[in-house]
Amino acid sequence: MTTNPSSRRQFLKVLGAGAGAAVAARLDAPPAYAQATGPVKIGVLTIRAGVAAPVGAAGLRATEWWAERVNKSGGILGRQVQLVVEEESNPKDTVERYRKLILQDQVEAVLGGISTGVTLALGPVAEDLGTPWLSWDGTTQKGVEETMPNPKWAFKSVDNEVEAIVAGILTPKHFKGIKTVAGIGNDYSYGHDCWESYQAVLKRYIPDVKFVLELFPKLGVTDFTSHVATIQQSKADLLMCSFWSGDATIIMKQAAAVGLFKTMKGVFTTAGGVHDSLKKEFTPEGLLLGYNTMYFDDPKGSPLLKQFVREYKAKYNEYPPYECDHAFFNAESYRVAVEKASGASKKWPEKAQVVKTLEGLEIESLSGKRSWREDHIQMCNFYQGITTHKNAYDFVTINPIETVSTKQAMKPAGTKLFDWIAGWKI
Amino acid sequence: MQKIFNLACGSFYALGAYVGVSAVGWYVGAGGPPALFIVPLALAGLAVGAVGVVVERGLLRFVYDRDETFQLLMTFAIVLMMEDAIRMTWGTAPRSTAGLYLAYGQIRILGAVAPVYNLIVIAASLAIALGIGWLLARTAFGRIIRATADNPEMAEALGVDMRRVYAKVFTLGTALGTLGGALVIPATAAMSEMGIELIVEAFAVVVIGGLGSMRGAVVGALAVGLLRSIAIAVYPELEMLLIYLIVIVVLVARPRGLFGRAEA
Repeated sequence: MTTNPSSRRQFLKVLGAGAGAAVAARLDAPPAYAQATGPVKIGVLTIRAGVAAPVGAAGLRATEWWAERVNKSGGILGRQVQLVVEEESNPKDTVERYRKLILQDQVEAVLGGISTGVTLALGPVAEDLGTPWLSWDGTTQKGVEETMPNPKWAFKSVDNEVEAIVAGILTPKHFKGIKTVAGIGNDYSYGHDCWESYQAVLKRYIPDVKFVLELFPKLGVTDFTSHVATIQQSKADLLMCSFWSGDATIIMKQAAAVGLFKTMKGVFTTAGGVHDSLKKEFTPEGLLLGYNTMYFDDPKGSPLLKQFVREYKAKYNEYPPYECDHAFFNAESYRVAVEKASGASKKWPEKAQVVKTLEGLEIESLSGKRSWREDHIQMCNFYQGITTHKNAYDFVTINPIETVSTKQAMKPAGTKLFDWIAGWKI
Repeated sequence: MQKIFNLACGSFYALGAYVGVSAVGWYVGAGGPPALFIVPLALAGLAVGAVGVVVERGLLRFVYDRDETFQLLMTFAIVLMMEDAIRMTWGTAPRSTAGLYLAYGQIRILGAVAPVYNLIVIAASLAIALGIGWLLARTAFGRIIRATADNPEMAEALGVDMRRVYAKVFTLGTALGTLGGALVIPATAAMSEMGIELIVEAFAVVVIGGLGSMRGAVVGALAVGLLRSIAIAVYPELEMLLIYLIVIVVLVARPRGLFGRAEA
């Protein structure tokens, strides 16, 4: 397995290839590059810079782990996997790199895509170019509304707001007597969607709950002392926070410095994304903490998860976050779909056969069984729980561990989110 | 003094933060008492300021006579290079000094709880501001800096070694940036893009306070900090809008800033 980072020369070639292809052929027709022999090239799009770089690194590491594992066991239908890695940056440049993967590198599938802004742009391009695209963490939602309900080639992540919905379901179970709630999240669609969804769900369980404060600092802020002071002033019973990067660690530290959680309950929907930076010295017990779709320390975890965690720790001296599971699931489901679609002949299947096989496919991922819904959305479990210091690490873990399925917490195909929540029988 | 709008100041701040995290990590790992962690933190922050000599002698000195746009691009290139260098050295995950932020405890002031470490940083900032003020106003080196800033040709004609002055001043500025990054890190976490965040705020501070004015920098920084805090408490949607509204007003009504001097 090799990784091929992009270079200026490659990029110029892509521009040429992209322009040539646009003139010479319709882009809505799948390119006729059938590779039935030699290594199978799989494109990977990952964020390498900025606040989401740790998430991108985790996804790439898991994909590389998967590729090594597949290659050691003989490849896919006897073909070794070769990853072609490109950077996910802004929508325009990422779309160009996506075209390059398909038109120049002639990959069989593309894995990756984290930012919703980028994947909103990638979705229609994936449909045009006719090659399977399996997104790690990006959807094609604008706000909470799906913009591509019937894709053929695009396979999307779970809906953005699921972890906030899970937190909304678990809040009344673990925290009694909540009357007032303050919220803080990043000032972009994910932060706002999470807050709106959390409010809608909590209102169903606690009809007289009041939402007394909402703060939306921009992504990348490293000083929340004023925000923490304002939250403290609000005297809310509970703080809901949807930070998912280093900002989760920072607000936790700055909140501990003024004793915020001595008087207030806390819900951190996704801080498990940076779980090993939530040190015990400043992260109290008793918070509701979300790990998204994979909890690295699950005692009921499969041997596959335990092997992955062990090898990830040995190689990177870190414990893996959820993005590893999204990435592994995408890659492994592609492998299984190819092998299944090949049937008894064991001939490399057409791309259209692969995407058909992916629909409804259930496989064993790091976090357990995961599947693709018929409308190309990932189905999985979400892990949240109450923070504890009783473990062998220097950071918090959760106990008890709550597992909520997307069957319960994600809106069914074709429904409107808030209508669906309003229709719950509680 | 060098008349360069140095975007890389944010990168020096980020570099100081990362070096500070590493220094404290080594110190704690070697069994140093937690109460004294601020000593290796500050020393590491100051020491890494030496990178200023390399940047000034290795890059900036070649662009002093060039167009301002070229200088801006050069310092922006340094920002991007340093961000990558940081990522290659420390990785992409945020780095923090665990719970040392609370090593000095908390204090209750006017009914609010504040970490003592914050007060130490405020005191250190005041001491640095006074020290720089004293250096500029009361020492021979300060007079040379002011003379060079006012009229570099005249200063050179009077025997001032411009290369040494530029190198010293730039290194001093860099060391203040790296020290700032190191001192702030116990309260936050180091992230590779933290420098860019700072550049944007520094721009507002400089415009409000006035380019080239020490008093302006102090007043501008206080104004931006206080305005942000008040906006967050009163009407959070105005947090950024308010600051840049004031920046626009200053640019229109008093382009040289509150304490900047008019061009002769």
